[in-house]
Parts: sequence; structure tokens; C-alpha cells
Amino acid sequence: MSEKEEESRIGVFVCSCGSNIGGLVDVKALAEYAKTLPNVVFTEDNLYTCSETGLAQIKNGIKEHNLNRIIVASCTPRTHEPLFRNCVEDEGVNEYLFNFVNIRDQLTWVHQKQPEEAFEKAKDVIRMGVAKAAKLEALENITVDATATALVIGGGVSGMTAALSLAYQGFETHLVEREKELGGRIKTLYKLFPNDQEANILLENLKKNVDNSKNLTVYTSAQVKTIEGFIGNFEVEIEQDGKKFDLNIGVVLVAVGSSLFTPNGMFGYDGKIRITQHELEDKLKNNEIKSKDVVMIQCVGSRNDERAYCSNVCCMTALKNALIIKENNPETNITILFRDLYTPGTHYEDYYRRAREERIIFMEYNPEKEPQVEENQIKVYNEYLGEEMIIPYDLLVLSTPLVANNDNKALAQMLKVPLEENQFFLEAHVKLRPMDFATDGVFVCGSAKWPVDITESITQGYAAASRASTIISHDTIEVEGATSFLPDYNKNLCSGCEICVTVCPYKAIRKNEEDEIEITQVLCKGCGVCGATCTNHAIIIRHFTDAQIISEIYAFGGK
Amino acid sequence: MVENSKSVLIIGAGIAGIQAALDLGDMGIQVHLVEKQPCIGGRMAQLDKTFPTLDCSICILAPKLSECYRHQNITLHTLSEVDKIEGSIGNFTIDVLKHARYVKEDVCTNCGDCGNICPVRGISNFFDADLATQAAAQIAFPAAVPAAYRIDSKKCLYLNYGICGLCYQNCGADAIDLTQKDSILTLDNIGAVIVATGLDLAEDIHTLNIYGYQKYDNVITAMELERLICASGPQSGHLSRLTDGKHPHKIAFLQCIDSRTHNGQMYCSSVCCMYTTKEAMIAYEHNNELESYVFYIDMRAGGKGFQKFLKRGAEEYNIKYIKSKISHIEVDENDNPIITYEDYETSEIKKLTVDLVVLATCIIPSRGINKLADVLKIDLDHYDFVKTNPFLPMETSIDGIYTCGCAREPMDIPRSVAEASGAAARAAEVIKGG
Amino acid sequence: MSYEPKILGFLCNWCCYAGADLAGVSRMQYPPNIRVIRVMCSGRIDPKFIFEALRVGADGVFIGGCHLGDCHYLEGNYEAVKKYEMVQKFLKLIDFDNRVRLEWVSASEGARYAAVIKEFTEHIRSLGPSPAGGDNPDEETLDKLRAMEEAAGGDRMRALVGRERKITEQENVYGEKVPLEKFIEIFDSAIIEEYNRQRILVALEKDSRSVKDLAAELEIDPSIVLEHMITLKTRGLVDFGELIGITPMFIKI
Repeated sequence: MSEKEEESRIGVFVCSCGSNIGGLVDVKALAEYAKTLPNVVFTEDNLYTCSETGLAQIKNGIKEHNLNRIIVASCTPRTHEPLFRNCVEDEGVNEYLFNFVNIRDQLTWVHQKQPEEAFEKAKDVIRMGVAKAAKLEALENITVDATATALVIGGGVSGMTAALSLAYQGFETHLVEREKELGGRIKTLYKLFPNDQEANILLENLKKNVDNSKNLTVYTSAQVKTIEGFIGNFEVEIEQDGKKFDLNIGVVLVAVGSSLFTPNGMFGYDGKIRITQHELEDKLKNNEIKSKDVVMIQCVGSRNDERAYCSNVCCMTALKNALIIKENNPETNITILFRDLYTPGTHYEDYYRRAREERIIFMEYNPEKEPQVEENQIKVYNEYLGEEMIIPYDLLVLSTPLVANNDNKALAQMLKVPLEENQFFLEAHVKLRPMDFATDGVFVCGSAKWPVDITESITQGYAAASRASTIISHDTIEVEGATSFLPDYNKNLCSGCEICVTVCPYKAIRKNEEDEIEITQVLCKGCGVCGATCTNHAIIIRHFTDAQIISEIYAFGGK
Repeated sequence: MVENSKSVLIIGAGIAGIQAALDLGDMGIQVHLVEKQPCIGGRMAQLDKTFPTLDCSICILAPKLSECYRHQNITLHTLSEVDKIEGSIGNFTIDVLKHARYVKEDVCTNCGDCGNICPVRGISNFFDADLATQAAAQIAFPAAVPAAYRIDSKKCLYLNYGICGLCYQNCGADAIDLTQKDSILTLDNIGAVIVATGLDLAEDIHTLNIYGYQKYDNVITAMELERLICASGPQSGHLSRLTDGKHPHKIAFLQCIDSRTHNGQMYCSSVCCMYTTKEAMIAYEHNNELESYVFYIDMRAGGKGFQKFLKRGAEEYNIKYIKSKISHIEVDENDNPIITYEDYETSEIKKLTVDLVVLATCIIPSRGINKLADVLKIDLDHYDFVKTNPFLPMETSIDGIYTCGCAREPMDIPRSVAEASGAAARAAEVIKGG
Repeated sequence: MSYEPKILGFLCNWCCYAGADLAGVSRMQYPPNIRVIRVMCSGRIDPKFIFEALRVGADGVFIGGCHLGDCHYLEGNYEAVKKYEMVQKFLKLIDFDNRVRLEWVSASEGARYAAVIKEFTEHIRSLGPSPAGGDNPDEETLDKLRAMEEAAGGDRMRALVGRERKITEQENVYGEKVPLEKFIEIFDSAIIEEYNRQRILVALEKDSRSVKDLAAELEIDPSIVLEHMITLKTRGLVDFGELIGITPMFIKI
């Protein structure tokens, strides 16, 4: 027996859970049986171990019998482990020296017709639980200091919104923008849907807030050069006009937006009378449009093999621009050729209806029978009528998608975050963690993640700020102690193969400057894959060590 | 870092309310999470899988429910509603009406003995879209949080007639307390409020008879289908027709039911194009011979991975998308629905006989929203959603009261979660900032 | 002949264990033969655990994780699959592969968990008791399982399994993507080689042996045994012992 086991004084509490457990198996007998197991010095059966009475009995047991490892055999750890861990901790026993044995949800409730077999099974699982408990070690949660500062990369609508919120919450915030002026995409837009507000009003508002913001430092004509470190402790170097700034940063927000797509070779695009929506915006701003017949084509360069996605904003952009043209000159004929019209929700569907009421014509086209663009007319096959139609135009506007920035890859590598197949940034979980990256402490918002409109850019800016705030609202970052680690006494076993580095989903493992494998504790989630993979069994997974699991296996075997 | 003791009150504990609560709680801010149902989780708990990842809904939701329940900064008030509000941004005083559960929440062990012995049975279970029944001593679903039963005060014999009391006599943990009363809890020092009341569905207010719903049993709603194909639903995921128990081999999904129409809601319900494809995929997984037909006006799939999801549906799950307008539905002598429709691509009138029709019904604001809006004095828009400005999306007409998710506009889970975090940021600014 | 199968299950906390709990809450009944060890992720399952379980007499071993794509730790279950596949390749050599099963059960699939356990228990029952179990376990089977455990635990196999996803799905250090068939070829031959080497070592542990003896006992071609012996000697794991006549005996170091 190792030194650790000689020290173990295990107490086993078997719960009757009213009649849920006790009604099928003899909990007193189970407690008696547990007494016969190695290292067990005290056992008791309770009616409801989770009740105030039961918890008091545990505490009493610890006090009177000097217990240093506690087992409760009752319902399921998934609901009750935290309760019992707190209980033993209150009585001075480290919470990781508590082990749970499930004899209700996975025993008495599912073997109701076989009480004898259930009893034998209960003995077996208690024996396994005791074996593991003997090998448990006290663990402390891991704490690192966190710097309460934020870095926002990208000064468009989303980035500014995020930065302003964080600054307003009292955090020292740094906003880096590579162009000379803040604003991103809306600098070049005219009016914004769905309320037709002028873009520069929104921009001026945001800029005013930025100027008035107390905790916000803005770097324009600047770029992030390097980012080292990890959550709460990033070291960032910014370069602005040849000057370098070194910052200590707690959290990083990526708000670098997206790029425009030029439909070269598509639908006769020439940038003159066959233009993109973005080029149209400019002309509308300067009131240059005097066309008689305008045709717009949707989904140019998107929803195809190269870019299999819908860019979200193009339908509304087309409607908005069409309405502006109609407003300036109600006699203009406008036809919009579309595949599916994307105007979800309340505001947008209302807007679509308004466009129809303004006598804008909508015609569906089949992507397999693309419109044929000729010098001043377009031939479209109308499926509904079963005929080819000819539409004259003197202005053709192509609705193109937003695409990912070319330099997303470089930034992704710097931050150790992934991109998806269209090179947009890939969040931790599409549904439940849309603003987070799997890499802790780094967040993303706006079109950098996926094409979105202004409303969502703003929402996501606030959302990323909220997520970042949950980290830097505290001086320290704490994670549960059941992490993976490479102990000093195993360092000689490590062959430097770096397979652990590759398999860690959280990028918590790296080879440091001394050529040693380093597991950043605060990033480790305790999944254990590295331990199961390490070629020389050097890595240890706390609280689920090989030794602990093997002891459960041996106990199963009756050893 | 947060010195003052101001808290935030969140109304609605669906995924949006929960996300906002967790964000604020993690920032160190005290949160009161008020939910009118006996358990938290909202609509997401009713779903089987979610698009576009086909994640099991309860699997990704359950950890958040537990976290919410155990969080030291979050106080859960279930079976509760906001009754009164006074004050202004930074300093609201709110009365919360707490309906009695008649069960001691922290003593109940979720053993189910009361439910088994209760003589009042056959009560429609809202969680199972009224396709299953429960007793007056009930829990919405086995993994509900809080994991405690409740007594339906409208149906309980003891509470209404002073007789029975079997649950009380048989509860081993002594968790039943039939003397509990509704009460008002006054919460002051509330800095900000978040309205996250989520959604109801068109069938909750309209009979939808024109599509045969409630006329023909083989015409069901999307939520009913969701419960039937759910592994933990009333049919354990083995989809069978309610008329004859047969497994359907041809299902028609009708889009835009009661939405985008002058006869119902004029707006677009946003998520139905996606969830219909999802439901067809799940149904196909249970039955590889299934043919699915989606009758739509526009397929709306702009989110991340959504277009690919539809493509997968068409290529791998035998789903046919038919751009069309539905005329009407009738049934043949075997209760098989017959759909008469206009096929847009050929402008022909056609008929299709299927085994089952699923209606993708419009998302409507939560039915309690008008009453709540009166209490809070916030404006609703012309559709009764909480009125917001597109460029100030989480603000309501009252400073300090914010909103997010479907309370504001129909939207999917990723957007609801993002908006919830956004509302949390706004609330945090009030509590911390200046 | 009726015996009661002894089954050991490893369930991942977030999906399968939760599904099993749900089966309980829903009172879905299933046979009482399984004993469960809870781990946080199916990716934690070291091949060693499976072999140890079989060596202590488990008639069946069950591993339950999240559905692919649903892993709480993002990709742990993909790693679990690779390790499981390796274990199965070894076990197939002694017809034990049908005693180990990997299944995905989500947290909402209580009914499925019960059904899966029911089916697996009956399946194990139909196979009869494990030759490595009971009061009189078969020595030869135990030796073979031990050899497999050592082979799977050696750095060569662990490196192959650990790198498999990266090399075949992404690229190796030279920026090349190794085609799956080529990888499988390398992998499968490594399995046989390492297994045979460990079988030799296990045999030598008991007694010194000549190449001829080993070839006969282990049913491996003598020339192959000799090749392995040379490799093992180079690695410093065996050495010459005494000479019997003109036949050298080898010993384990």
C-alpha cells in the first residue's frame, strides 16, 4: 500500500432516498458491507443524505472519526455532487476527496424487478467507489491574475459598439483600427435599412461617443503586430505609423469586419452601367442616378459552388437602394431578379411589403437558367409563365456577397483561433457560444464572423463586450482543479513528440522557449484526451488519474 | 469589482433569459430571474435537435440550466410574474407575484411518488404540446430545473374542495405543503430590467382550421412533430400517426402558416424554413424511406452554415422543396391528407396525397406580453413585439428596461443568445458604469 | 448454460452518463449486469483501461460518449474513436472484438441507453463467458491480452493513434496529407509487429526460450520471430542467455 492509502480514512454514507433506494435494496446491509472494504473506518445509512439531517450526519462522521475521504452512495453526481462537496469542505475536507456512487438513477430505478441482482450491483459499485476514493488527492482550484483591460481589433460599427460598452463599464479599453478613420463599412454607405437613416449620422454619433469616452484609447492607422500569452495575460504589440506600443491585455475582441466582392466576369460587370450595390450607394449619395430602367440581380457570386452561403444583407440592400431610386424618380422602372427573397422577421418583411407597394417588380430566376445580360437588355426565363422575358435596362446592379478579409488567416494564427471554410472566424459553438472562441479570452463580433446587418453588428458588439466583461470583471481567473498536468518527476518521460499539443481542443498545451511541454492550467478543461494520448504516459489527469481508474477496474474485477 | 449592491431583474428564463442571467452573474452582478412556468428552459427544452448542427437540444441546454440554478449570483423565481414596477433606471422597485408551488422546492427529491398517486389525471401537458397528459401533482419533464414537482392549483382536489391530500400523506421527504399561498415579493435596488419573454405560437391564438388543423388528426403543428420525434417525448421518437399509429412515409411541411399573410400575421417568422428542414432530417433518421415535401414561398437561410444545411436536406435526406401556394387541405377515407396547391415553377394546380401534414406555424409574442407591457409601461410595436429601434436594438421605450430575443422579433437561438449577452452588457453598463 | 455477464461501462459525463440518468428518471428498465465508471470525456479512455477490464474478467466492455460533433470538449470523441478502432484491431486477432462496444448516446436518449444496454447484455450473454474470466481464467488468453495491452501502450502505437487524425485529415510535418489507405497499411502492420514482439516478451518473462520454441508456441514463422528478436535486442529488451547445444536461448532483460 502506498503512503497515501495508509492515510486514507474513508467514510461511506448510503442513502435510502426515502423508499427510492431503500425500498429495493437493504441500505443497512450495504453500509455493513462497505465497512468490510479496505480503508473504510466508518459507515452509516441515511434516510435522505441530501437533507439538512443527512448533511449534519456527514459532518458528524467526519468530526468523530477523523474521516479524510467521503463517499455518498445515492442519486447522481450530476445533480448532487456540488452539494456534498460543499458539505465536506465546510468540515475541513478538501472537496476533491469526495466521491459519489450512483445507486439510484443508474441502479434502483432501472432494475426494479431484480432486487437481488440490484443489491449485488450496489455492492460492486460501492466497492469501486471506495477503491477510487483511496487514491483521491486533495486539489486546489487554479487561479491566475487577470488584467482588467480589453483590446478591440477593428473600429467599425461592431468594434466601436463593443469598445464603448466595455469602456462605459469601467474597463481600460484599446481600440485598434488600420484605416485612418474609424467607421469601417458605414463610411462608404449612404442610407441604412430598415429605417433609411443616413449612415453618416450613425457614424458621427458613434464617433462622438468614442471621443467622450473616458476609458477608451483609439489607435487609427494602426495594426496589431504580435499577441502572446493567454486569457487575462495577453502581451500585445501595436504598431502605429512606425511607433510601437506594448500593452498588457486581459481579453481580445475580433471585429475586423468583411470585404466586398467584385463580380469580375459575371453578368457583364463593367463598373460603369453594370455595377455593384456598393458602387450604387456612392452614386446615390451624389444623386447621380437618372436611369429609366433599372434591373437588379440578387445572389451574384453567392449561393454557388465557390461561396455556398447567403450573405444576409444583399436583399435588404437592394430593396433599400431601389426605394431610394424610386423616391428620387417615381417614374423609374425597377425590376429585381431574385432566387429567394431574404427579409426575415418583422421590420424586414414590412420593408419588403413597402417595396412591393411602391411598384418595384420582383421576378424569380432559376440559377440553372441564369439571366442573359446583353448590351441594353436582359433575357430571363420566367418559370411561372414558362416563357423567356426581355427586360430593358440602362443600369444593371449586381448584389454581391460580403466575403472574408484576406488577412483573416494571419490574425487567426496570431490568436490561435480557427476559421471556417469560407475563411470567416469560427466561434466556439454556433448556437450557444456565438461570440466566444474555444480559445479562452478571445471573442468575435460582426461581419468578421459572418455577414450581418447593422442591427446585428451592434447587438453582437454589445454581446462580445458582455462576454469579455464576465472575464475581466474579476481580478483573477479561476478554474476547477481537475486539470491535466505534466509533473516534474515525469519530465524525463516526455519525448517531445508534441502530439498532446495537437490533440488539445483548447490549445492549452504548447512547447515553451525552454523546449519543454507546458500545460496552461487556466485553459485546461480536464477532458483527459492528452493523458490518454501521451506516447510515454507522462501526462497525468487529476481526479481521473490512470491509477484511480485502474483501481476502479480492479475493484470491478473483485481484486 | 462590482461594489454596489444593485441587481438586475430578468423576466423570462428561456435560453435568452438564462444567457443574460449567466453573463451578469459571471460579472459578479446579482440577478433575479423570474419565470412564469414551474421550470426554466423555455422553448429550447421542448426541442429535440437544433439546426444547423443537429445538436441534441437538451444536451446543450442542461448544463446552462444547472449552472443557472447553482449560480451564487442568480436567484431563481419560478411560477412567478412581475406585478408592479416603480422607480426609474438605476433604481427600480419591483413586486414579483410568486404563485405557490405547494411543494418545498429544496426538499423535493423528484421521486415522483406524488405524481403516481394523484387521482386527478388527464391534464394536458403544455411541455408535450398537449400530446401527453399529467396528474395535478406534476413536473413538466423529468430533467426539469428546479427538479421539483408542483401541484396544479386549478385541478387539485384538496386546494379546491378540501378533500384527498394523498400526495401529502405519501411524500416520504415531507415536501408537500398544501398550506402555501401566493405571495408578493418586493425587490428593490433593481438597477435594470431585461424582458426576455420569448414566444408563443400561432396555434395558441388561432384555430388554423383552414389548414385542417384540429379538424384532421393527421395535420399537426411543427411543435407537435418536434415532441413526437423527440427521444424523450410522448412517442419516444418513433413517429406514428395519431389516427392509426402507422409510421408516415410521406410528410408534407407547409411553410408560412399564419405568417406573411393578411389573414394572420403579416411578418415573417424567421426560423421556420430552417426548422422544417431539421425536422424532416430527424424524421428521415428514424425512417429511411421517408419522402418529405416542403411547400414554401421563399427559403430563408442566411445564418452560418444554413444554406449548406438545406442542400444536405435536399441531397441526402430526400427532401423536395416546392415553391408554391397552398389552396386547401382535405382527407381521403384513410385520413390521408390531400393538399391542393399551385406549383410556382409550372403554374399548374396540383394535388398531393401524403400521410402527414406538418404546419410551420408563425411565432407570436408571448401571450402575457400585453399585460406585462402595461405593468412596465413599455411600448409594443404593431405586432405586439416589444418596440425597439433597429440601431438601439436592446432598448425599450423606458430607460433601464432592455429586451432581447423573440420578445423583440422572431429569431433563432444563436441570435437570441447573442442578443441576451447584448442586453446583459446594457444592464451591466447601468450597474457599473458612468 | 446460463451465466451472468459481467460488463464494465465507461460513460462520458456530459452525454452518455446523463442519458443513463435520464433512463433512470424515466424508469426505463434494463439488465443489471453493467457497472459504470464515470469519466469526463470518452476521449479519456486509454486503451489500457479496456485491456485491463478484460484481463480482470469482464465479459463485455461498453464505452459511451457523445454523438460525433456534440462532444462537450469539442473533439474528444473523435479521439475516442481512433483508440477504440485500434483496440478492436488487436482484439480481432483473438476474436474478442465483439466483446467491446462503442456507442454514442446523447443526454436526451434515456430510452436509447436502456435499449443499447439491454441489447449489449444479451449479445454478451450469447457469446458465453470470457475465457479470461471466471475462477479459472485461461492463461494463454490472459497472456495474449497482456501482450496487446503492452503493444497498444508502447510509444509506437500511441504515436500512430495520436497522430492519425492530423496526418490523414490535415497534413504531416512535410505539409503532405497521407492518404487513408496508406496510413491504414502502416498502422495494421505495426499492430501485428508490436503484438508479436510483446507476445515474445511475455513468453520470455516466464522462461528463457529459443527462437524455434517461441515460433512453435506462438504459432509465428521462425524467421519473423528472429527478426523481432533482433529488434528487441537492439532496443535492449532481450539478450542472449545460455547456449543449449547450438541453440541460443533468449532471456528478457
